[in-house]
Amino acid sequence: MRTIILTNFDLCTGCQICQLTCSELTTGAYNPRQALLEVLVSQDGLVHRPVVCQQCQNAYCQAVCPAGAVSLWDTIGAVVIDPDVCTGCGLCARYCPLGVIRVEPGRGARKCHLCGGDPACVKACPTGALEKVVVGRDI
Amino acid sequence: MKEGYMDCILVVDLTTGRIEKRSIPPRLKEDYVGGKGFGARILYDLLPPQTWALAPENPLMFFTGPLTGTAAPSMRACVVTKSPLTGTFLDSYFGGSFGPEIKYAGYDGIIITGQAPEPVYLWIEDQKVELRPAKHLSGRDTFSTVQLIKEETRSGARVACIGPAGENQVLLALITCEYNRQAGRGGAGAVMGSKNLKAVAVYGTRGVAVRDRERFLAAVEQATQEVRTSPDTKALTESGTAASVPFASEVGLLPRLNYRYGTFTGAVELSDHGQRKHLWLKNAACTGCPIACSKVGVIRSGRYAGTVSDIVEYESAAMLGANLDIADIKAVTYLTHLCDALGLDTISAGGVAGFAMEAVERGLAEPRLNGVELKFGSPEAAEQIIRAVAHKEGFWGQLLAQGVKRAADQLGPGAEEFAVHVKGLETPAWGPRGCAGMGLAYMTADRGGCHQRGFTVTYEIGGVPWEGKQLDPLSPYGKAGMVISLQNYLAALDTFVKCDFGGFGIIPETYLNLFNSCTGRDYSLDDLYRLGERIWNTTRLFNLREGITGSQDTLPPRFVREPLPDGPGKGHRISDQDMAVMLEEYYRERGWDQDGKPLAAKLEQLKIEPHQKLFTI
Repeated sequence: MRTIILTNFDLCTGCQICQLTCSELTTGAYNPRQALLEVLVSQDGLVHRPVVCQQCQNAYCQAVCPAGAVSLWDTIGAVVIDPDVCTGCGLCARYCPLGVIRVEPGRGARKCHLCGGDPACVKACPTGALEKVVVGRDI
Repeated sequence: MKEGYMDCILVVDLTTGRIEKRSIPPRLKEDYVGGKGFGARILYDLLPPQTWALAPENPLMFFTGPLTGTAAPSMRACVVTKSPLTGTFLDSYFGGSFGPEIKYAGYDGIIITGQAPEPVYLWIEDQKVELRPAKHLSGRDTFSTVQLIKEETRSGARVACIGPAGENQVLLALITCEYNRQAGRGGAGAVMGSKNLKAVAVYGTRGVAVRDRERFLAAVEQATQEVRTSPDTKALTESGTAASVPFASEVGLLPRLNYRYGTFTGAVELSDHGQRKHLWLKNAACTGCPIACSKVGVIRSGRYAGTVSDIVEYESAAMLGANLDIADIKAVTYLTHLCDALGLDTISAGGVAGFAMEAVERGLAEPRLNGVELKFGSPEAAEQIIRAVAHKEGFWGQLLAQGVKRAADQLGPGAEEFAVHVKGLETPAWGPRGCAGMGLAYMTADRGGCHQRGFTVTYEIGGVPWEGKQLDPLSPYGKAGMVISLQNYLAALDTFVKCDFGGFGIIPETYLNLFNSCTGRDYSLDDLYRLGERIWNTTRLFNLREGITGSQDTLPPRFVREPLPDGPGKGHRISDQDMAVMLEEYYRERGWDQDGKPLAAKLEQLKIEPHQKLFTI
């Protein structure tokens, strides 16, 4: 079993409350750009598409990390970065297929860890565009 | 910085190219908080008295508030300058994501003075600030300007820009803050155009932190609950402001035929009903807003097929629709989109178009424009007028680009009878006959004919008691206290900077909790009202200094002399006598003299020292 955040792009209004919440929780200050998920806008604002970490089962971030800082957190199935091991080289962010890993100088890499199984973005989303779901069989 | 502020104001002089970063003087923050407050005081301090609004000395300023860019629900930012349309203080508010981005780049505000020798745009990437050539953008509409600037800077940049109307210094020109978010009223776009400034683009990576995190998060949760459960904000989530069209028609406040009438049989077609059928696809929201009053969509068929547009909100639907006797929602959507693209305020555009159509009806001017007869009910006529105004083309374009007040002066005797404005600002779409307090709100609004400084319709006609009492909408008595209270309260919230719609749900105590936990201050409700009163007196001092007099605290002849011919308010007008009663009460309760000048005792009580500048450059 693993937990993932399902995105219902058709319900997304582009309000970025998910990103505001995430940025505050993970950095201590508000800026959607510092959040660990994206909201893409297309067709002159007709479409908003949230992009969240899928906690990949074949995680490129984990595969390319030279320090072995990325691992699977078995209890919820989240792919997490150990900040004590991360060297901040940025390879994970560079090869993340969804572009949702952040690396700032001196801070190391940061990625979605599902808030330990109860994602704050899902709770904050006013429309249900983000949903927490548990999928798959016992690992 | 952990108190909602970034503690920096960016000052750009376009004449010299000098760029400065200034800290916020503590007294300014203390007394004026942010947003409208900063704008009111800094405009007063910076502008040499009686300067023409399109002169280089007039500062064009963007201000955020301490809550802008945080998770406090439904916050915005504002543009402040001297209005070229009215000659008064001008504050114009916009949602979207441009306001928060100013803070993410590290600034509480941007002050732009001078005039660039060639067209430029301002590019702000965190601490890096530069002026870039914009000649290649001249004449471009707002949508393609935004797109091109993103391609030249960063795809994630947020852009505020003007269209051809602003470049041509049309006095009805707006500043668009992508997408479909406008600093619409009063001609801020013309001020930007006079500076040769096509756009401001911002990209920021810094965060906005608050003082007391636990309390702030609890206040955000509380405010969000209030927004989610309030019937008024729920209605906005459902239908935006479009549902107000049939409401306004039912209560007789919907302008038709240049405000001659107050009801319209096409109201339902123009409302959420018609828009849902022909336009809307989904809800959209500004950054940090759970309400999502926007409904984006596309016109699928017919002459205007392919027009991607935001909701035609109440004011646009009423002014470009009902006021012009146009019931075709597809056409009105197109006209609204055209105004957005050319950079024109839809309220004033509907105002000047109605004025032109009535002038033709009365035989006062050339009846055709590019071969199209300028008559009510004709979307083609409205389109011709909008295009001519934006480009200041021909007789009609040049006449109407100055707004109805100047147009009436130019057209000659009799034309002022049907020029509907207060202090030169075309009135919004709530014809006040039958709702006296709304008349007083228009008469006394600091930027001229504006419904957002105090919306008494809610209490006089909407059935909501005011201080426990049901008000008689027709009576001029006892209205001043309500108008003053609303003006003070809303001006205070405009320092944070609130969105009007958030304020429909969020109660005063919750706003205070958000503000106090964010900034570490300890404001009471009284402090909040005093802040609003201080701002209201500051903008009054500014307007008086610029030559506005109490005699301009008045309504246009249409509302004063002509009884409303239809609707529940039929037979009613707001007479000279009514105005005198309301204004006398208003000045007295404001602590102003009989000419509408703040008394020394009032200024002292509010700690306003007009001659001691709080901000200089």
